[in-house]
Amino acid sequence: MAIPSAESSSVLRLTFLAVMVITLFVALFARLWFLQVMAGDRYVELADSNRLRTVITEAPRGEILTADGHALVRNRPALTISADRQVLLDAAGDPVDEEAERVIDRLALLLELEVDEVLERLASQRRSPFRPVPIAIDVTPEIVFAVQERRELFPGVVPETLPVREYPHGTLAAHLLGYIGEISQQELLRPEFADYRAGDLVGRSGLEQSYEADLRGVPGQRRLVVNARGDVLDVQSDREPVQGADLVTSLDLDLQLATEQLLEDGILASREIRRDDGQLLPSTAGSAIVLDARTGAVLAMASYPTYDPREFVGGVSQEYFELLADPENERPLVNRAISGLYPPGSVFKTASGAAFVEAGLVTPRSTVECAPAFELGGNTFRNWNRGVNEGMMDLSDALTRSCDTYFYELAFNQWLREENADEPDEVLIRVAEQFGFGVATGIDLPGEASGRVPGRQWRFDYWVANRDNYCRQADLASPGSYARELYSDLCQFGAAWRGGDAVNSSIGQGDVLSTPLQVAASYQAIANDGVLLRPHLGARVVAPDGTVLREIEPEVNGELGVSDQTLRVMQEGLERVVMTDRGTGSSAFRGFPLDEIPVAGKTGTAELRPKVPYAWFAGYAPIDDPEIVVVVNVEQGGGGSQTAAPIVRNIMAHYFGIVLADDAEFEAGEEILD
Amino acid sequence: MDVGYRQDPDQRRAREHVQSRWMEVYDPVRHLDPVLVLTALALTVIGLVAIYSAKLVALTSQGLPTSLYVSRQLLALAIGVVVMVVVAVIDYRYARIYAPAVYLLSVLLLGVVLSPVGTAFGGAQRWIVVGGFQLQPSELAKLAVLITVAAILHEAKGQPGLGVVVGALVLTLIPTALVFLQPDFGTSIVFVWTTAVLFLLGGVQARYLVGLAIAGVVAVIVALQTEVIQAYQVSRLTAFLNAGDASAAQTAAFQTRQSLIAVGSGQFAGKGLFEGTQTSLSYVPENHTDFIFTVIAEEFGFLGSSVVLGLLLVLVWRGLRIAILAKDTFGMLVAGGIVAILTLQVFVNVGMTIGIMPVTGLPLPFISYGGTSLIVWFAMIGLLLNIHMRRF
Repeated sequence: MAIPSAESSSVLRLTFLAVMVITLFVALFARLWFLQVMAGDRYVELADSNRLRTVITEAPRGEILTADGHALVRNRPALTISADRQVLLDAAGDPVDEEAERVIDRLALLLELEVDEVLERLASQRRSPFRPVPIAIDVTPEIVFAVQERRELFPGVVPETLPVREYPHGTLAAHLLGYIGEISQQELLRPEFADYRAGDLVGRSGLEQSYEADLRGVPGQRRLVVNARGDVLDVQSDREPVQGADLVTSLDLDLQLATEQLLEDGILASREIRRDDGQLLPSTAGSAIVLDARTGAVLAMASYPTYDPREFVGGVSQEYFELLADPENERPLVNRAISGLYPPGSVFKTASGAAFVEAGLVTPRSTVECAPAFELGGNTFRNWNRGVNEGMMDLSDALTRSCDTYFYELAFNQWLREENADEPDEVLIRVAEQFGFGVATGIDLPGEASGRVPGRQWRFDYWVANRDNYCRQADLASPGSYARELYSDLCQFGAAWRGGDAVNSSIGQGDVLSTPLQVAASYQAIANDGVLLRPHLGARVVAPDGTVLREIEPEVNGELGVSDQTLRVMQEGLERVVMTDRGTGSSAFRGFPLDEIPVAGKTGTAELRPKVPYAWFAGYAPIDDPEIVVVVNVEQGGGGSQTAAPIVRNIMAHYFGIVLADDAEFEAGEEILD
Repeated sequence: MDVGYRQDPDQRRAREHVQSRWMEVYDPVRHLDPVLVLTALALTVIGLVAIYSAKLVALTSQGLPTSLYVSRQLLALAIGVVVMVVVAVIDYRYARIYAPAVYLLSVLLLGVVLSPVGTAFGGAQRWIVVGGFQLQPSELAKLAVLITVAAILHEAKGQPGLGVVVGALVLTLIPTALVFLQPDFGTSIVFVWTTAVLFLLGGVQARYLVGLAIAGVVAVIVALQTEVIQAYQVSRLTAFLNAGDASAAQTAAFQTRQSLIAVGSGQFAGKGLFEGTQTSLSYVPENHTDFIFTVIAEEFGFLGSSVVLGLLLVLVWRGLRIAILAKDTFGMLVAGGIVAILTLQVFVNVGMTIGIMPVTGLPLPFISYGGTSLIVWFAMIGLLLNIHMRRF
């Protein structure tokens, strides 16, 4: 028999247990209510992000072709060893477990890489988490087999083929094609890269960059339903990759090959030339441009020295990039034809001559004395042809003989006129801009320089920016020295645009700067009845199935703004440069069948002391109905007639199918330092 | 006039004797608790559905029959029902007599598990394989500890002294230690908890209870400090504290995190049977055993979870009722003890899936896949029925 007190005591104890039980169950219900009803939405999202994995498939990039359909860049499948970051690494970028560590060790051994290197590539934040990270691109088939045969040793390692850029013609047109590289973190933040993801490739220079939107294509995307082990169970939605469109350029394969070769040959050959002072010409670098005289299309463009875009496939090595960036190597990555800034020298005289006619100082036919020298405020500005008075000259003669003093005289008169005017009309700046100087041409290549046509405003701004430096230099220089005098003058009066500045500008010296492309565009306008066209490389964009998506039509940048007479007189002067023995360029064209293919052109020798002058030649042919404009610049190549004109001659000969007697060899012209 | 068949008094006595004997045996059956049995069966059926759903995709992808786990569990259910009937029929008071035998058998089996005969899986050695079936002696040991300690306290007639307390404690700690070495932290907690609740119900004096509580806390601290608990257990125990933190990608936190996602994404009404992505894509590990509740919560939502917890509460209610109605201390202790074990396992198991308890390998009664567990739980239902039937 239970004692009543014990009975009630056990009921009490059971009640205590019941209360405890109820409390625990209430806790469970409360927590479930919170998780499932109050926070349920968030967990639904988490569940979806768990099971759906987005996988990106690369779209093959479009090809870049010559006008005649030869591929300059195309794609090649490259065997690649990639690895899944989500399988091997944790959030901190360390191997998830010992097994992953062993896999990475094995991978490093197989690929002959350091373990740290593999880890670094795998953890790179520049890579999208939505696709395997390429660890080694362009591996041998043996390596792929090694991974495929022993899958159990390499969980998370994926052998795949990725499309990589291939250059059937090697370094040909490297500056024009450009290269591609991984998009940077900064670029990803910019609006134009909104639909890019980390790890995407993007055009880094050249046409690859300027036609990025056409060439890129649309990456494919698949939403995979995956289980916890990463096995794909279902494909939810699928967007096939859309191959990028091809770009057909105006480049002529044969002419491009020849232009590059002839430029290089000419530069190398000119290094054998001894100047009057007995020194060999340095001819450190150069560029050449061939434009279609009627459309402004670029038929060929070369820049020397060049680089190998194949080194950029799968990521450029630090070593090679440093080689390219070293100033000792003349910066081969720079496309000098569009980015090189040089004083144009005498090739600028077409623009300045037209300016003085425009200013009303002369008519095209009125004459000015071509004196041996021009005196100005105690300074002597000599004609290049030292000591000889060449007599009275009109604009045509002044161009043919490249007479400096003709331009000095007019420039000084114009300067005086401007100085006396309340609001000076700086004619040279205005007309030079009509000729395309000082303004980028807008060619479809990135990195084009604008050049400079200086004037009063520029001089003032420059002085403001440099005044402190001038004054400090003046203080530092020893009293009575030339430096002291120069710097204290600049310090006090450096803001003034002086007569000497105007005189120098008139022959493309002083502070005038221009790219070879600007020179080419202005001569193309002279050859093409005064219409300045926008040079371009792209001809049309073609879809992979062959339909033309877009024709790239010639665009007019403007008109030279000179009268027909002025234009004809200029053309006459340029013709005589080559066609008559008096012309500064005639020596370089000896042996060229000028009776069949008459050529017009202009030499230029730009001083950039203390360097050896820069050689220029700008020409077009045939005279009656110009087909091509050719411009060559050789840095420290001496006289334009000496090194640049012979290269132009050889390019023209190649274009017109002329076999020159001295075909294989480069024959320098006379050393005329105009 | 003969009014009819006159019964021979002897015959009548004999018949009445037979009748009464028969009634005596039959009598308790009239006092069955159908609610208890039906609730247990309902939970088992829900468990079968959840197990089927949990393993459907995984088994299909492995090319195995989808009923693999369910059929094994059904067999365990059949055995469980038989065991329940047997346990219910034999007067529970005999349990006081056979308790030592059950206890010794359990301890023996737990020893065998730790020997090379035992089967290891997932870093723990918990099973003995007999004839193609894996037996988990620690489940049986729960029953053994329960009836042994209840019997001792019953003998103490409501006045358990220090000797009784110490004796019961020693008898509890032997299987606790053996289970702990497997290592099965969860089940060893169940033993200690069972004894603690039985002490409370059995009238052990408050000062002993307080003393035991303090000793327990000290023991846990010492265990953690001296690394008696293996490192993986500690990390599993603490992982739930920072679940939901995205950086906690460690394996332990992964379980808890995926479990929370499964439960939470079920929302109010659930995703529907077989529609749970966390479940079918195996994001939640062990989701047919320890994490079975995530399947129910994901596919049937708060409603389904509530039904399951509600049914478990019904069991608790019937169990408490039986404990109160029990005619002796032993019955009251056994019934109360069963309620305590049930509550602890439900709270630890469900709490683990919803991130309020650490990850320990305790199955959800009647629902989790696992034959031994199911059979032992039906045995406990049998015990409850037994106590209920013989309450007069």
